[in-house]
Amino acid sequence: MPTPPKKEKEKMITTISIEHALPRVFVSEKIPASDVWQTSLKLRRGEKYLIEAASGGGKSSLCAYIFGSRTDYEGRILFDSVDVASFNIDKWQEIRRRHIAYLPQELSLFPELTAWENIQLKNRLTSHVPDSRIEEWMEMIGIAGRRDYPCGRMSIGQQQRVAIIRSICQPFDFILLDEPVSHLDEENNRIAARMIAEEAARQGAAIVSTSVGNPLLLPDPIKLSL
Amino acid sequence: MSFISRLLRKNISPARIAGFILSNFIGLAIVLGGLIFYLDARSIWDSEDSFIRSDYLVINKKVTSENTLKGASSFSENEFKEILNQPWVRKAAPFTAASYRVRASLNQGGRGMSTAMFFESIPDEYVDVPKSQWSWKEGSDEVPLIISKDYLTLYNFGFASAAGLPQMSEGLMSGIPLAITISDEDGNNAIRLNGRVAGYSNRLNTILVPQNFMDWSNRMLAENSDWSDRSHQSDNSKISNPARIIIDVNSPGDVAINDFLASHDYEVAGDKTAASASFLLKLVVGIVLAIGGVITVLSLFILMLSVSLLMEKNRDKLHSLLMLGYPLGKVGAPYCRIVITASAAAGILAFIASALLRNAYLEPLRGLGAGTGSLWPVIILDLILTAIIILFNILAVRKKVKASWRISR
Repeated sequence: MPTPPKKEKEKMITTISIEHALPRVFVSEKIPASDVWQTSLKLRRGEKYLIEAASGGGKSSLCAYIFGSRTDYEGRILFDSVDVASFNIDKWQEIRRRHIAYLPQELSLFPELTAWENIQLKNRLTSHVPDSRIEEWMEMIGIAGRRDYPCGRMSIGQQQRVAIIRSICQPFDFILLDEPVSHLDEENNRIAARMIAEEAARQGAAIVSTSVGNPLLLPDPIKLSL
Repeated sequence: MSFISRLLRKNISPARIAGFILSNFIGLAIVLGGLIFYLDARSIWDSEDSFIRSDYLVINKKVTSENTLKGASSFSENEFKEILNQPWVRKAAPFTAASYRVRASLNQGGRGMSTAMFFESIPDEYVDVPKSQWSWKEGSDEVPLIISKDYLTLYNFGFASAAGLPQMSEGLMSGIPLAITISDEDGNNAIRLNGRVAGYSNRLNTILVPQNFMDWSNRMLAENSDWSDRSHQSDNSKISNPARIIIDVNSPGDVAINDFLASHDYEVAGDKTAASASFLLKLVVGIVLAIGGVITVLSLFILMLSVSLLMEKNRDKLHSLLMLGYPLGKVGAPYCRIVITASAAAGILAFIASALLRNAYLEPLRGLGAGTGSLWPVIILDLILTAIIILFNILAVRKKVKASWRISR
């Protein structure tokens, strides 16, 4: 099994600190006690976190803040000791290729491309895993038969499984999964959890998964509520 | 084709790209065609008189009975200063006239002719002949001359046929030594010299010798000097004024020049049409280039708008690719390729069109005496304009990709 190159290990992200952060839309509201907002939280490499919240609690916002795609928050987010507000676009793109993997709730698959092409779109960028490994994963999670189907013609559950495989086709220190199994049954949920956990363990990375009721079935996660 | 190209080329409108290529082609073809025509056509006027550039004017006062009686047919120092102060004058110099007798004789196998002549000179910087051909050293008995073409015509069709002498071409005439004798007003102190015709001029109705020869010979033989000849003014010399002035003007077709000359009763000597035709050519080509330039700029905006619209339609895809970690350059690359291909196609087509246009007019234009200008300026201009269009569009693509990086909610 390939291991990440040494050079990348040297500058990996070991902690993500969320300091007194709060989405701007919540600023004038009274929000319930939270493990994340308006407090100090450190997410550490190698751990498994499960963030649970009611709908509208700001899960997707939190992921987007950590991933750099939104900045409408108060407070600070630090990678190790560096404030992410200081990163430029090129730095963010490098982080997205090498340090933080992200499965957004809306999946962001390209409907005109097949399952295989959607996954390869990421894997060819990172050259992370061999094709045989991707085929294994597709087999494991039950979408091998849909390999050459355009994603637009697949069910949401199948699309979610394609997106899960795509999200782990890269080196990462943290993987952010925004309601990754909302449309999967329990069996597929377990398979997905095992697949993600194995890849994260191989890389020594942290898993940060959110849910509104159908959590990714990770063994012994650290539970946080928003 | 890579996945990215397949994704991002969706929504391309071939009609819009074709619209750009067509308008850019028309704009560039007009600019290049105009330039190519200018380069070819300007030689019609420029080559006519290679000794004096077309932006040099030779002026004199109108010869009227009144002027002659008053002795005012030459320029005073104040009048010269007034000319120098005109805004359209780059520099000016008076003609120096020889104040001594000149006699030239031509000997052709026993039959010959002899005539009284005169010399004039202007500073060497106004004479566009290589230094080696237009120089005289004290002690040398060979003097280079530039004579008016009209004199050769007069000789060939007037004198030669009447006197039974053979007609002479310019080349033949240049090969025959002209025996010249210069002497003072009383015919004493004669100096014998050989004249060598260095060229013929349409625009100078005179016989021109190098300035240093003029200064030397005036010093040797003349009693008079004019105010411009500082080297030769003694207490007993009578000051005379130069009759003609050569002026280097900024723009030969300037209306202000004609107004000034008319109001002072000055005349331009020689062929005036060359200057005004050359000015007219520049003006017309200028207008054509401006029209072509405007169309080219508009086509630049058409391409920018089409690419921008295309990218706007694919904005979600651009954003998703950036979310996957694709570098900005890679995401913009398919659009840059479209821009480069379309602009290069228009640039190449425009060059071909202007070359074809040239083929169509070159034959008749040659009949008017045009030479063939170099194509390099046209190729370079084509490359520069195409590069500018590509550069602007690539910058616009980069900006648009950056804007897709963060979709505001």
